[in-house]
Amino acid sequence: MTAMTTDTVTLTGVRAVYGTRDRPVTALDGVTTSFASGTFTAVMGPSGSGKSTLLHCAAGLDSPTEGIVTIDGIRLNDLGEDELTRLRRDCVGFVFQAFNLVSTLTAAQNVELPLRLAGRRPPARDVAAALDAVGLADRAGHRPSELSGGEQQRVAVARALITRPAVLFADEPTGALDSAASRQVLRLLRALVDDHGQTVVMVTHDPSAAAYADRVLLLADGRVVDELTGGITAAAVAARIAEREADPVGASRHAAETTEGLSC
Amino acid sequence: MLSIRRSASAFVAVAIGVALVATATLLLASGRPQVPDRLAQAAVVVQSPEAGTEADSFVPTRPWSATAAAELTSRLAGLPGVAAAVPDRTFYAQPLVGDRPSAADARREDAHQGHGWSSAQLGGLRRTAGEPPRKAGEVVVDRALGLRTGVPVTLLTAAGPEPYTVSGLVDAPGVYVADEVAAVLAPGVRAIGLLLAPGADPERVAVAARGVVGGDGQVLTGDERGALEPRGDARTRWIGMQVLTATAALAGFVTVFVVASTFAFTIAQRRRELGLLRAVGATGRQVRRMVYAEALAVGASAGLVGLLVGAALAPGLGRLLVDVGFEPATFAVRYAFWPVAVSLVAGPVIALLAVWSASRRAARVRPLEALREAAVEQRPIGRLRVATGAFLVAVGAALSVGTATADEARVAAQYALYAVMALVAGATVLAPAVVGPVVRLLRSPVRRPGGAIGMLVRGGALTATRRTASLAAPVLLTVAFAVLVSGMVRTTTAAYAAGRADNVNAGWIVVPDGGPGLSDQAVAAAGGTALLPTTVFRTDPGTLPENRPLTALGVDPAGFAAANRALTVVAGSLNDLRGEDTVVVTASTNLLPSEAYELVFADGTLVPLRVVAVVTDDSLPGDLLVPRAVVRTHDPSALTSTVYVRDRIDPPVGARIVDVATWAAEADAAEDRLVWLFTLLLIGVSAGYGAIAVANTLLLAAAGRAADLRLIRLAGATRRQVLWLVTAESALVVLIGALLGGSVAFAGLLSIRAGLAEQVGVPVDLAVPWSVIGGVVGLCLLLAVVASVLPTWRLLRH
Ligand SMILES: Nc1ncnc2c1ncn2[C@@H]1O[C@H](COP(=O)(O)OP(=O)(O)OP(=O)(O)O)[C@@H](O)[C@H]1O
Ligand SMILES: [Mg+2]
Repeated sequence: MTAMTTDTVTLTGVRAVYGTRDRPVTALDGVTTSFASGTFTAVMGPSGSGKSTLLHCAAGLDSPTEGIVTIDGIRLNDLGEDELTRLRRDCVGFVFQAFNLVSTLTAAQNVELPLRLAGRRPPARDVAAALDAVGLADRAGHRPSELSGGEQQRVAVARALITRPAVLFADEPTGALDSAASRQVLRLLRALVDDHGQTVVMVTHDPSAAAYADRVLLLADGRVVDELTGGITAAAVAARIAEREADPVGASRHAAETTEGLSC
Repeated sequence: MLSIRRSASAFVAVAIGVALVATATLLLASGRPQVPDRLAQAAVVVQSPEAGTEADSFVPTRPWSATAAAELTSRLAGLPGVAAAVPDRTFYAQPLVGDRPSAADARREDAHQGHGWSSAQLGGLRRTAGEPPRKAGEVVVDRALGLRTGVPVTLLTAAGPEPYTVSGLVDAPGVYVADEVAAVLAPGVRAIGLLLAPGADPERVAVAARGVVGGDGQVLTGDERGALEPRGDARTRWIGMQVLTATAALAGFVTVFVVASTFAFTIAQRRRELGLLRAVGATGRQVRRMVYAEALAVGASAGLVGLLVGAALAPGLGRLLVDVGFEPATFAVRYAFWPVAVSLVAGPVIALLAVWSASRRAARVRPLEALREAAVEQRPIGRLRVATGAFLVAVGAALSVGTATADEARVAAQYALYAVMALVAGATVLAPAVVGPVVRLLRSPVRRPGGAIGMLVRGGALTATRRTASLAAPVLLTVAFAVLVSGMVRTTTAAYAAGRADNVNAGWIVVPDGGPGLSDQAVAAAGGTALLPTTVFRTDPGTLPENRPLTALGVDPAGFAAANRALTVVAGSLNDLRGEDTVVVTASTNLLPSEAYELVFADGTLVPLRVVAVVTDDSLPGDLLVPRAVVRTHDPSALTSTVYVRDRIDPPVGARIVDVATWAAEADAAEDRLVWLFTLLLIGVSAGYGAIAVANTLLLAAAGRAADLRLIRLAGATRRQVLWLVTAESALVVLIGALLGGSVAFAGLLSIRAGLAEQVGVPVDLAVPWSVIGGVVGLCLLLAVVASVLPTWRLLRH
């Protein structure tokens, strides 16, 4: 029970403002939330609602204009550029929607890249095991151009996991994949959470992808406006989104209630 | 993360640069003076004291007088191990074959040199027929002239044509007369050769000889005897050295420059990959180290290839240098150690220097850039960059002024090269700031009805000003260099000719034709005012150099004053220049009339002279004036360079008559030709290089734009429209580069012109060789279009 309540990542009052002084764009507008260890969270919301920005801030790829982010209890605000890089290398895994792999390196080399950057040379069997875990043991020597989109995403997952990070972030990892390939990647992520207690945070537009998660966070205009926990199915998620689009005010009241319920 | 395709252009650029550096340094190392064949048998040679400084060592040494030489010779002959000591005399003597100087290799200085017969043993000359010359009127000539023994031959000497009889033939250039005759024609001696007894050690003899000679000469053995090569060869070699040094320096500079822009470009194209590396945990320093390591790998391997190519090219280029006259005919390539070492180091060093700024930019790539589309650059140019650029332009401008006002052509040329480098570097640094305005300026010609292409071209160039600027950089470099250097050389040549013509007040000028000078007989036939130059030596103990060579002009004062407009007398009177002991000096000597002035003449005698007049420094085409008779007395072999006449006359034998403008333009024609060849060589190197760089960057750019072009095609552009688009884009890049480079160069040329006008005192026209410039821009344009259209065409076929 205590293990479940440990928060791997916390965000407190995070605001992210871009653009010029005259034309500011508020991507995140005071987000406070946390991702508990060993859980699978899906972040959803309309385009431009700040999902990617939330992930970037939580992963230390970008620093928020205001607010506090912690990973494994470490406050990112206090870290310098190099310390932040090292933290990303050791504690955070990241899978992007596309362009995940260095095109001149083979799958295996891409997987071992973070460890190499850390000055360690991973044993070949660790790399093989990581690729095996994502079902690509036989493609180790292939370059990204020789792999399908789904395979590339799975190599990216293997790379994100090789450092045994505290948390794995994925920004629309299945955005460019067909349903079969998506299912493979999502099952993989689910299995990581179930079998290894991995913490996963994933942005998605697809309710059926969100259904793999333990919890769904809904963003709109840079704020967390809704949250679902328990009994998450594609239909339930889709219904909740539709409901919000039809009646944003009512939905947001509903969201507030849910959030309050959770905090008790 | 080294990608062959990506590194290819940097590799090629470094390889070519190192090949040039290797060739130039190998040739430089090979350019050592050769022991003249004429002295090959003399294991030890004593040379008269060096005059002047190292850099202009092609001035003759200060000769010994006949008595000093005779005394020294007999003391040297008495040394143990010396079989014979032979004074070597050299004078002007040219055999006439069919009333004309023999056409046999006009460039060979030794073909019109005469010596005493005893000198023949110093070179171990083989007499192929006849007898040695025993008395006056007998001569031994080169059998290549095709003369037989016993036949009469006319020798052109400083006095005029003289009848001789061929007494024998040798298999070497030059003519040999009886020693007594040689002693009259060349009283002064500059070298004494020692023939050693069998088994004698040259070094031991040399040590003993040094004891005898003391400070009154140098004792040379082995390769040191190369110092005795003909002075013309030494001068040719020196010019060759200048060419090679400049080529190597330019090649190194251009390479760093081109490779830097190539690296900058690849880094810009790799932002996403670098961002990804940063995202998965690479620190800025690691990215930087990676970029350095890549550069090092490229530099080292390309350097090796460049060295091999350079070593292979060196002999061919060496022969070419001999053919165009940059190296003496005796030149041969030797593979020394240091050029190889320099070239091996050059590759990595060039690459590391070039990647420096790109690596800084690479380290600054933020992790999130992995996620964004090719980011639109924020600011075209930073404040530091503006400051750097302005500074470089200022330095360049200052150096151009230095070029224009430098007294010596040699110094000016060096200033000019550095001025070009600074101006070009400055212009490149500032280029991004100028791209925007220039593109807007060029808007109208690219605008067409519907103008999608114009819009795309403009949009691309404007949003990516840095990219456009780095594409234009090689064009800028090439055009600026070509315009500035060729314009400078042409303008300077024309300015000096104009100044020279302006100084002369005469209708026509008689000049030598096919020989080094005019004989006294020719001068008498021409009438008019003659200049009889000779080299004299001023010895000031305690100064450096101790023996200073000066050009003394033997003149008739009234005629000289009438023909020379530049003449300004500061003190005394030119009319007093007569008798045996008078001299006119320039103001820089700080002498006053009636002061004493001692000079050593070509016969080695120290002549006490009295100053009768002082003139301004720019009054004379030499250093001082003496009566013509004084020169003739002390230098029997002196030849007249110029005769000013009022009316057109029929030129005497061995002479030609020209008008003043032609004479002024021709005066330095031989040297001007070498300089122009040198200029074309340098422009060729930089233009070829620039063109390759243009092609390189555009090829890279085309690869990077594949996705964009496919999109444009999907958006409805026909294949032809896309091809037009890339053609227009590369033309725009070349145009921007040419405009920027041209303006930088013209700014430099204008300052050079202003300085020159001041110096020569007449208005100077800007001479711009448009054909050279047109050729350079055309080459860049052609390669640019080919390099962007070809890959696009291939891309569109799939
Ligand atoms: N670097 C940036 N500069 C300017 N504006 C930015 C930047 N990054 C994000 N934004 C703005 O912030 C808002 C949120 O962007 P974000 O990428 O987080 O949205 P998203 O929810 O991930 O959208 P999508 O589903 O389309 O990916 C957008 O309006 C975007 O324009
Ligand atoms: Mg997004």
